Parts: sequence; C-alpha cells; structure tokens
Amino acid sequence: MHDKLPPGITLIKADDFQTWLMDIRVIDSNPIYQGETYRLKFTFSPQYPIEAPEVTFQKTETHPIPWHPHIYSNGIICLDLLDRSGWSPVHNVESVCVSLQSMLTSNTKKERPAGDENFVRYNTQRPRDISFVFHDNQV
Amino acid sequence: MSMSSPSPIPPPNDRRSSRSSSNANAVDDTDDRMTVGGPPSSPSPLALRVSNSPSSKRRHSRSVKVPPEYQSLDYVSTPDSNLVCLICHTPFDKPVQLSCEHYFCRLCLDHAWALQPNGRRTCPTCRTAVETDQDIRPVPKIIETMLNELFVKCPNTKAGCSWLAHRANVHDHVMLYCEHTPVECSATDCRLQISQKDFHKGCLHYTVSCENCHTSLMKKDLEEHQRNVCANRLTCCTLCAAEVLRLDLKPHINNTCPKHVIPCQGTIVGCKFMAERAEVVLHEVSCAMATMAPHFREQQARIERNEARLEPLTRKVGILEDGLTNITNYLYPANGNDASFPVTDPLDPNDTDPQPDFRLPPASFPTVAPGNDNTPGRPLFDSQVHHLLTLHDSLSEEVSRIANALTDLDGRTNMMIINESQRSKDEMLHANAAISSMRMHLQWLVSATIQQRSSAAGSSTSTGSTSASGASGSGSGATRGTSARPGPGPSATLQSPFRRLSDSNRQDTKL
Repeated sequence: MHDKLPPGITLIKADDFQTWLMDIRVIDSNPIYQGETYRLKFTFSPQYPIEAPEVTFQKTETHPIPWHPHIYSNGIICLDLLDRSGWSPVHNVESVCVSLQSMLTSNTKKERPAGDENFVRYNTQRPRDISFVFHDNQV
Repeated sequence: MSMSSPSPIPPPNDRRSSRSSSNANAVDDTDDRMTVGGPPSSPSPLALRVSNSPSSKRRHSRSVKVPPEYQSLDYVSTPDSNLVCLICHTPFDKPVQLSCEHYFCRLCLDHAWALQPNGRRTCPTCRTAVETDQDIRPVPKIIETMLNELFVKCPNTKAGCSWLAHRANVHDHVMLYCEHTPVECSATDCRLQISQKDFHKGCLHYTVSCENCHTSLMKKDLEEHQRNVCANRLTCCTLCAAEVLRLDLKPHINNTCPKHVIPCQGTIVGCKFMAERAEVVLHEVSCAMATMAPHFREQQARIERNEARLEPLTRKVGILEDGLTNITNYLYPANGNDASFPVTDPLDPNDTDPQPDFRLPPASFPTVAPGNDNTPGRPLFDSQVHHLLTLHDSLSEEVSRIANALTDLDGRTNMMIINESQRSKDEMLHANAAISSMRMHLQWLVSATIQQRSSAAGSSTSTGSTSASGASGSGSGATRGTSARPGPGPSATLQSPFRRLSDSNRQDTKL
C-alpha cells in the first residue's frame, strides 16, 4: 500500500498499527520551508480508517514545527480533514501527507495561529477532542 | 483415507451457493437430525461420517463453524485496484454503488456512516449526500462476477488445507468440505476447537508424548507432528527417495544424497562441471582438475599457514630495525645522520664514502656500489635488510671485541693487585719480626733491671748509698713514668738523658 510514496514523503517507522512516523518535505521552492524536513506522528485508533487518525507534527533536533497560520507551535494541526466532520474513511496516511504537503506549499505567511501562546500553554486536550472552528477556506 | 478426502468441489454456481448457505442456517434452527452444515440434497461423505458418529446428534447445536470473512482472505495475486474498497483496502465484499458512482462494501459504508454526526450520510470519497436508500444501488453484474472469480486460498491453509479456487466457493468449502475447519470438540466438557476431520475421534485435547522424540504435545497435533516435524522419525529424502531420520536429512542431502546437485571437486581449480552427486563421482575419476584438487587444497593450506607465520616475523623485524637504529645512534651520535643513517646510507650516493670512524667492514655495504642504488630491478627492501644484517653482524663483533679487551684488562689488573698485596704482606712480616725482636730485648732489659733493683734493695736497707739511689731513680723512672720525675729531687738534672731514653724505649714497646 505504501510501496511507492509520492516525492517528499518518507516512511520512518511503521512497526505496528498504533503509531507511525512519516517525514515530509515541501518540494517546491517555498522560501518558508526551504531545506527543512518535518516529522509527522500518526496515532491510529482501533476504529481506523472509519475514525480519523491523530496527526501532529513532532519537534526533534532535526525536525522543526513548520510555520503556518493553522499549525500551533506544539505541533497540533488545525485541518478539517483530520477532524471528525472532515475525515473520510477513504483517506489514508499517504493522502493525509499529501494534503499537508499542499497545505504548506500554498502558504505564504510565516506566522502562528492567533492565540498560539495561550493555546500551547493551557491545552491539555488531545487533538481529536479539540473542537476547531474551520473558518479559512483558502487552504 | 479415501473416505476423509473432500468430495469434488461443485462448480461455481450462485444459485447453489445461496441455497446451501440458507440450508446451513436452517440446520441450526429447525432440523434436529442435521449436523455440521451437511446439505440435505447432497450429503458429502464427510457429512455422512459426522452424522453417523455417536456424539454428533447430541451436540449438533454447538458444532458451529465460523463462515470465512472476505476481508481476511489470502488472495493469490494482488487484486485489481478497481476492485478494492477504499475503506477496507480489500476486494469488495457485497459491494454497493452510491448515486455518485463510487463503490464500497456495504458493511464499510455502514461503519463509516455510523460515526458521521447527526445521521448525515455522504459519500466517503466525494461527500455527495446520500438522501435515501434509493441512492444505494447494487453494482453491475460484471463487477460481482469479477469479484467471484478472484482466486483465494482456504483460510485454513495454515492448518494444512491446500484448497485454492474462486472466491465464490470459499464459503461452501469452509462450511462444508474443508477438513481443517475448526469446530468445537465433541466432548461435552471440552471447549477447545478441533479440525473437522478429527471431530469423530472424540476429544483429542489431552497431552501425549511423542514416542520418537518425547516432546509433549496434544493428541490432536500428534499426527501432524510425526508427519512433518518430529526429528526422530523416518522421512523420505525428496531427492533420492531414501529413508532417513528427519534429523539426518540435511547431512544426508549435503554429504551423501546421490541426487543432490553439487559441483565437481575441481571447482577450486576451475572445473565448471556441476551435476547430481552420482554423476559427479563418475566425472571426478576422469577429471584432471578433481584429481589435483586435494593437492591444491593442501598447497593452499600451507600457503595460508606460512602467511600466518610471516606476519609475526615481519613485526619482529620491524622491532629489531628500530632497536638497531637506536643502538647505532647511541654508538655514533657524531655521525649526525639521525635515525636514517643505517637505512638511507646505502641508497645515498653522497654517503658511499665510508667514514673512517664508522667501524663497519666494507662488506657490510653490498649494494652501495655507485650507480647501483637506483637499479629498478633490485628491490629496496632486500638491500636494506641485507645492510641491516651486516651492520648487526659487525656491531656484534665489535661488542665481543670490547668484551675480550675488558676481560684482558680485568685479568691484568687482578695480577697487579695480587703482586702488590704480596709485597705489602712481606713487608708486614718483616716489621712483625723486628717488633718481636725488640720486645725480646725490652723484656731482657726489664728483667735485668728488676734483678738489679732487687739485689740493690737488699744492700740499701743498711747502707742507702747515693749511687744506688741514682740507679733506682732511673729504674723507678722506667717503671713509674712521668710521675717519678719530680721524685728523685737533686739528681734529676743529671739523670734526665737516661730517663728520656728509657721513656722512648717504653713508647716503642707500647707500639
């Protein structure tokens, strides 16, 4: 199923059906993401693919959190695709990676979401339990 | 065994399939005499056997088989991606078509929709709303046919079933014919599962020990164990049909099996012949390379041994060279050529003129002939080693010469010391002799004096002559030393030279 991944997407670890690690790069020349690789962490529930996986960026020494108005500095991603209402069981790890790649590619603003600091400081919820308000249809 | 073999699989037939499955369902509900899914119209030998076994009637309600799930089937080839459900990623199982012409398994759709908020139903792919059940339509017949004709393996493959056929038949196979389908054990108090073929044998869930290898295992696994696993049982070599213990099968194939394909022994020398062992043995009789092979192997081994021995020797030579350089530098620091002196000398034409104080015989420079040092044919290493060796020889000669000289010198010194001490000893003897003669003189003198005094004392008691007192003064001076000096009084000035003499005499005797 993941024999041939699209360019810029690498499978790092898929030992079980609970947690997978993927690396993505933005392959066009968007200056915000030039030369950087981002690590994605997929956490699957037993109901996957009926239920959406939990997808966050992971910060490591070599993998920063990309700048994006919908990505919080703790790696949580605000994307309707990953929310209960936006998820569809036909999505898979590959398609999620491609979506995130294109979301980064089309971004021109090097900024964090409004209220990032407060959110990062006070959020204790898991990403799937957060109710995001999807307002931006540009991405 | 013919009885337990499955009856021929009926041809793929939808009608038959649906009928038999409905019959199988009916078994559990109504028909009391029916057992394990035996279809009433065509009872297989297996079904007959099962129904005839004594315990089956009583227990038919528990002998439920689990129908195969299409999603966990093992497909023989990778199915066409157009026949794969995007939700479960396996070939469609009872597919349906939405109004947007996207296909899904019916069950996958139900699962997906169950989680959608407030009962909304949309196509998982394009999110087109699914308003009514009319939007969910059956798929075209051709799709179903293609799905039915996918080849699958029996889900009991691991238990030993080798069945492989169209997917449409897998249900019937598992539910009716497969001997390896797990069913509940026939014993009332046993909840474990057993293969269909062993159902009539009663409960086989007790531990036995394999008579050949003494492994403990369940009775139901014993036959399989003895047929395929047990190392202490005879088995047939797949190549030559010889009967050997399974334990010995590998050595048999590697070492003796006449049908095993092996290369000719001469392969290490380049013989390309490769055939079954029996043929190779015939070939090796005539193959020159095979005849030579043992010889070559021996040579090879010898070379390896020598190479192994050479290595420590090389190291040793290196160490010795270093030591020699140190010694040379120590012995001839004035040469100023540093450590390179013994090594580069024979190769440096400027240095070919031997220095006078470099006490090496000219023979130690066999390679220093002018114009010879750049000869490419002569290996550098040889000349250097040779030079070092001669250098070493001359040095050891030097050392032994020095040692000889030292011994010589030592002997001479010893002789000198011995002669000298002999002379001193003689002189001491002379002195001793002189001393003892002097002692004798003194004794004689003393005894003479004492005699004289004692005879004089006998006469002086009456006369007290002054001449005697003068003699006694000298005598008392001799015996009593300095304390006697003031004693004699008026005659002291006259007697003093005598006293001095006696005094000096006494000093001599004391010595």
